[in-house]
Amino acid sequence: MKRISDLEIDEEAVVVKIYAKEPIKGRLLSMGIVKGAKVKIIAHTLARQTWDILSNNTKVALREEEASSIEVKSIYE
Amino acid sequence: MNDEIKVAIVGQPNVGKSSIINALSNAELHVGNFSGVTVEKKEVFLKRDIYDIKMTDLPGIYALNAYTPEEQVAKDFLLNEDYDIILNVVDANTLSRNLIFTMQLLDIHKKTILVLNMVDEIAKKGGSIDKSKIEKLLGIPVILTSAKEKRGVDEIISEIIKLHKIPVAKNKVFYNQKIEQRVEELAKILRKSPHFQSHDVSRFMAIRLLDRDEDAYKMIHDLPIFIEVHNALEKMYKELESEFDEESTTDILANERAAISYNLQMETIDVDEEEGSLSEKLDNFLIHPILGLPIFLFFMWALFQLTFVLGNYPMNIIGAIFSETSSFLADFLPKGIFNSVLTEGILPAVGAIVMFLPNILILFLGLNLLEQTGYMSRAAYLMDGFLKRFGLQGKAFVPLVSGFGCTVPAYMAARTLKNPKDRIITMLVLGFMSCGARLPIYVLLVSAFFANHNPGNVLFLIYISGAFLGLVVAKILRTVLFKGEPEPFVMEMPPYRFPSFKAIGMDLWIKTKMFLKKAGTFIAVAAMAIWFLSSYPVNNKMVQNYNAKIEQTTNIGKKQNLKNELKAKSLEDSYLGSVGKFIQPVFAPLGFDWRLSVAVIAGLSAKEVVVSTLGTLYAMGGASEKSKGLISKIRQNVDFKSAIALIIIIMIYSPCLAAMGTFYAEVPQWAWRIFYTIYPNVVAWLLAFGVYKTLALMGY
Ligand SMILES: Nc1nc2c(ncn2[C@@H]2O[C@H](COP(=O)(O)OP(=O)(O)OP(=O)(O)O)[C@@H](O)[C@H]2O)c(=O)[nH]1
Ligand SMILES: [Mg+2]
Repeated sequence: MKRISDLEIDEEAVVVKIYAKEPIKGRLLSMGIVKGAKVKIIAHTLARQTWDILSNNTKVALREEEASSIEVKSIYE
Repeated sequence: MNDEIKVAIVGQPNVGKSSIINALSNAELHVGNFSGVTVEKKEVFLKRDIYDIKMTDLPGIYALNAYTPEEQVAKDFLLNEDYDIILNVVDANTLSRNLIFTMQLLDIHKKTILVLNMVDEIAKKGGSIDKSKIEKLLGIPVILTSAKEKRGVDEIISEIIKLHKIPVAKNKVFYNQKIEQRVEELAKILRKSPHFQSHDVSRFMAIRLLDRDEDAYKMIHDLPIFIEVHNALEKMYKELESEFDEESTTDILANERAAISYNLQMETIDVDEEEGSLSEKLDNFLIHPILGLPIFLFFMWALFQLTFVLGNYPMNIIGAIFSETSSFLADFLPKGIFNSVLTEGILPAVGAIVMFLPNILILFLGLNLLEQTGYMSRAAYLMDGFLKRFGLQGKAFVPLVSGFGCTVPAYMAARTLKNPKDRIITMLVLGFMSCGARLPIYVLLVSAFFANHNPGNVLFLIYISGAFLGLVVAKILRTVLFKGEPEPFVMEMPPYRFPSFKAIGMDLWIKTKMFLKKAGTFIAVAAMAIWFLSSYPVNNKMVQNYNAKIEQTTNIGKKQNLKNELKAKSLEDSYLGSVGKFIQPVFAPLGFDWRLSVAVIAGLSAKEVVVSTLGTLYAMGGASEKSKGLISKIRQNVDFKSAIALIIIIMIYSPCLAAMGTFYAEVPQWAWRIFYTIYPNVVAWLLAFGVYKTLALMGY
């Protein structure tokens, strides 16, 4: 199972499932990070602790904990 | 009687709600390119024909499932306050995400106008928007605007008036049949209660309950129908969750809304998202894994260099103007109380503070650019990992860095932190971020003692050590008093936007006006008080004795010495002198004389008062009179160790009364209020004492 935190910079993927608990989950949903949304990795910090992802024209910064709670699949699947 | 129309301005964060109100009226609401600029509701009044339009600017809110305290403000307003029209502002660049929230608003079924803002950015990308199609699909009026270019905003008012005259339009947005069926069932039960008689209200409540909204649940909790609703809900949750194969009905509704929104965007907006936009190119640099942090530190360093170096020239000029004016007036005006109050009390005090206006403006300009360009959230992203080590999270960066400007709005900005523990820790250490009003004290002391040692660097060091100390204290608080993990970090990063010169000029102008007003009123009055308190009571016998002695000597030098001695003695015997002597023992271990002690205490009212009080006390004499400027007087009368101790005290001790009042208003618990009032002063004294003694050992 691939998570956002497994991706590399500039890699794209599609959201499969969000494992984060409420209210984080709701927050991600309301930012447009929903099942089926395409995401692209813009950047992460040196220690891969904080992530910057782009989805539907919105950039969102996340921590590793949140990034690893979002399951993704390759855009070609 | 005019007709009043109450309009609620609602939308996700950073879509331009406050900008729209500013464009519509002559309001000067604070605007910035990051989420969470507006954290409390603000009312703006407009008149058009026979209508009084009351617009309430609300904090941005991502969804009705409110998350942070400032979002709760907006939600509470929507659910409990009385308003006629919802003005839902959305960012045309991110329409589908915005519409997810719009759909929740449409559930309320009030008169709603959809404002698609930032169309200038769509136009720049060569995109097009099919406005009438959105209107048709959503069943509400749509207005395309650019608050930046003031396009379309006038239409908002005419639409508000038009909508006011007609009944609310029929709802056009419906969810999946399986959901709608449950909504109707639940609404039927709700209508048994007198609270939810109307069709609209019962439908809205039913949807909120299915959305597992805790506030909605609380509303029905004490009603007679509660058991019935509760049982029906439990059944529906189970059924829907298995029918849709989802964990929670919240997700089902979210997916529904997201799907509808996404389709709507696809059908109505045509825009090519260009690859390699300016924003992305900048981000390649500014949030680069390795370069990001050094670049950020460089910006901060450069800001303090500029603050000192650039500010120094006008500072000296303004200082000179004030001291020349005051010595001219001292000779020109007839001798007497008025002359003395003006030239020894008010002018030196006001001058001492006004000369630092240029420095303060440079600092504010830097903070303003941070807010307007979109770099703020990048810095928060970069600092997140670092802040995590101190038990805070990246979002805390926003209130912390605002604290360099003014502590009052910084306390308010802490509302964007969800977790109450994070919030209180952040607020408790916010005072360590030296505000703009403390800048004059630092510049004064740095100019006096480090003029030849790269003063800009010293200034940077002062601010950085304050911030670092704040983080250490945050860590201690987190380990000792607030065990537990900091809240997760999820934050939107807006595109970079070029700040408008007009907006920045306006902001600085407002700051200047406020600063001069404060200097001309509060500081001047405080200075007058300081002057009277330090001029009375007059010991007539002593004055006669000295005057006799002065008469007798012929030596001019001796005459001057005697005059100075008289001034010093009178000052020491004055009311203020007695107060100063009374509190001085507290500060004696730090080597402060009574003047510094009085200035520090007076600084509790407002930090500008520290410098203005020193201005008055050193102008009144007793201190060596060889030099005119306050800077050189400080250099002659304060020793190095004490100056450093003073910097530390100023850096840490309680902020001004206005800030303390804000803290009290934001934190209702008395235990925290008392802790907050005491601990910074204790820490300040202990640290200042430690450093003073260490410097003494090192032979300074
Ligand atoms: N290009 C462009 N920028 C805009 C427009 N309207 C607002 N902005 C910018 O968007 C940013 C956000 O504006 P605000 O008015 O603070 O947004 P808000 O919705 O009040 O934000 P919060 O109070 O945080 O919820 C600022 O940088 C504005 O200058 C617009 O029409 N076009
Ligand atoms: Mg706002």
